[in-house]
Amino acid sequence: MSITEKVLCTKSHEFLFDNDNGIYTVGLTDYAVEQLGDIVFLELPEVGTEFGKGETFATVESVKAASEIYMPISGKVVEINEAAVDAPELLNEDNWEKGWLVKIEATGENSEQDDLMEYEDYKEELE
Amino acid sequence: MTKQTFLHDKHVQLEAKMVDFAGWHMPVQYTSIIEEHNTVRENVGLFDVSHMGEVFVSGKDSLVFLNSIVPQDISKLPYEKAVYCQLPKENGCLIDDLIIYKLGILEYLVICNASRVDEDINWMSINSKGYDVKIDNQSHNYSLLAIQGPKADALMRKMGLKTQQDSFTIKPATIAGIKLLASRTGYTGEDGYEILFENKYAEFLWDKILENGKEFGIKPIGLGARDTLRLEAGLHLYGNDLDENTTPIEAGLFWSVPKDKSANYNGKNVIMEQIANGVSKKLIGLKMLDKSIARHEYDVYFKGEKVGYITSGAPSPTLKENIALAYVKNDKEICENTTVQVMIREKLHDAQVVKRPFVQKRNKVRLS
Repeated sequence: MSITEKVLCTKSHEFLFDNDNGIYTVGLTDYAVEQLGDIVFLELPEVGTEFGKGETFATVESVKAASEIYMPISGKVVEINEAAVDAPELLNEDNWEKGWLVKIEATGENSEQDDLMEYEDYKEELE
Repeated sequence: MTKQTFLHDKHVQLEAKMVDFAGWHMPVQYTSIIEEHNTVRENVGLFDVSHMGEVFVSGKDSLVFLNSIVPQDISKLPYEKAVYCQLPKENGCLIDDLIIYKLGILEYLVICNASRVDEDINWMSINSKGYDVKIDNQSHNYSLLAIQGPKADALMRKMGLKTQQDSFTIKPATIAGIKLLASRTGYTGEDGYEILFENKYAEFLWDKILENGKEFGIKPIGLGARDTLRLEAGLHLYGNDLDENTTPIEAGLFWSVPKDKSANYNGKNVIMEQIANGVSKKLIGLKMLDKSIARHEYDVYFKGEKVGYITSGAPSPTLKENIALAYVKNDKEICENTTVQVMIREKLHDAQVVKRPFVQKRNKVRLS
C-alpha cells in the first residue's frame, strides 16, 4: 500500500498520517515541497510542546523564503525528525517517509479531521 | 496585466516555476536554485533578462544631459565602454541604479531595472527640459539574454563571436548569424556576456545558445539563482539594498562616485557632503553564525539595541553558509569585524560582520 492511500491533507499542504497507535506523523505534501524548491533549513518545536489545530508549529525555509507550517489537528509533539533538521534536503528527496516533520499525540476531537482531504481529493483540488 | 517576454513560451515548455516579478511573468527556477547557481559558478548559464529596460539617449546634449543626472563622469566614458551608475534625486537618494553604455559620439544606451523603467523615464523627461536630447524607451522592442559563467566566453566564440573585448565593453557582434550588441557584463560576479537584439530573434537565439552550450554544461537559470549569485558577489538589488531612502555613499558605492567630477548633478551636494563628513547608516555584509537565515526586513541588534535591518539575505550555495546585507548605524564598533544579532521569529541569532563580496568576483577581463 502506498502511503498516499492513507494520508490526509490540509489546504495549507501539510499531511497527517495515522500510525494506528494514537500517534500521528505530520509532514509536507509532495506538492508543497515541489513548490518550495530546495529546502535548506528547518525549525521544529521541542518535544512536549502542545499545539492547537491550525497553529504554527514549524518553519521551513527554501532558498527563496521562509514558510510557516500549521498543525492539521491539535496535538502534543512526541518526536521530531532530527535527521531532517540536519539534512533538510530529505524533504525534497522523500517528503512522505524520510522527510516527515513531527510525530504527535492527538489531543483534540476526532471531528478535527473532518475538513482534511484524502490525497486523491487534495490532488483534484490543486487542479 | 502581467507582461511576458518573447521567451515566455520557452520557459513554460521547460516547466519553469513562474512568478510575478516587477509586473512580469518570469521564471524563478527551472529545476533547482542551488543546481542553477552552481552551474553558473562552474560552467555557464543562460538567463532571460528581457524584462530589464533599454533606453536610448541621443542628441546634441546627450552627454551633458546624462552627466547632469548621474554621479559618474560620463564625459570620461570612452566609446564602446560601459559604466555602472545611479540615478539620485536632489536629496541624494536613489530612483534606480543603471548601466550606461556609450554607443556613439552622441548616442548612449541606458539599461535600467524592470521595476523602475517608468520612474526612470519620467525622471529623465523632467530633467531633460532645456536639453536637445531624445529619450527613446525601446524596452518593448528588445530582448536581453545573459550568458554567464567561466565557460561563457568559449561558448560565445563557438557561436561566432569574433571581437575580443574587455569586461564592461559593448560591441556590435554576430552570434549564430544574428547581428546584435554584445556586452561583457553581468550580475553574477562571473565572466560573461549580455546580448541585446530585436525581439523577433529571441526564440531562435535562446534555442541556439542552449544547443551550442550543451558541451559546456549549460542550463537555463531563473531569477532565484540570479538573486543568490548577485548577493554572493556583493552586488546591490534595487528595491532591497537601494531605494528612495538610501544614497550611494550609504550603500558603499564610493567607487562609482568620482570626487573630482566638475559637472553638477542631482544630489551632488548631499553626496559630496556625505563623502566629506560621513553617513549615519551604512550597508554591511553579514554571515550567520548558526544555521538560521536572515531575510529582507528582519531587524539587526547590537548590545540589545536595534541598530539596523536586513536588506537581502539568503543561503550562499557556494559558501554553504547563510549571508546577508544590512543597513546599520554607522558606528565603528558595529561595522567592523564584530558580532551582531538578527531577530528571526522572535529570537536573536548571532551574525559576523564580514567584508563584501562574499565570494570573490571573477568577472575582470583585461586583454591589454
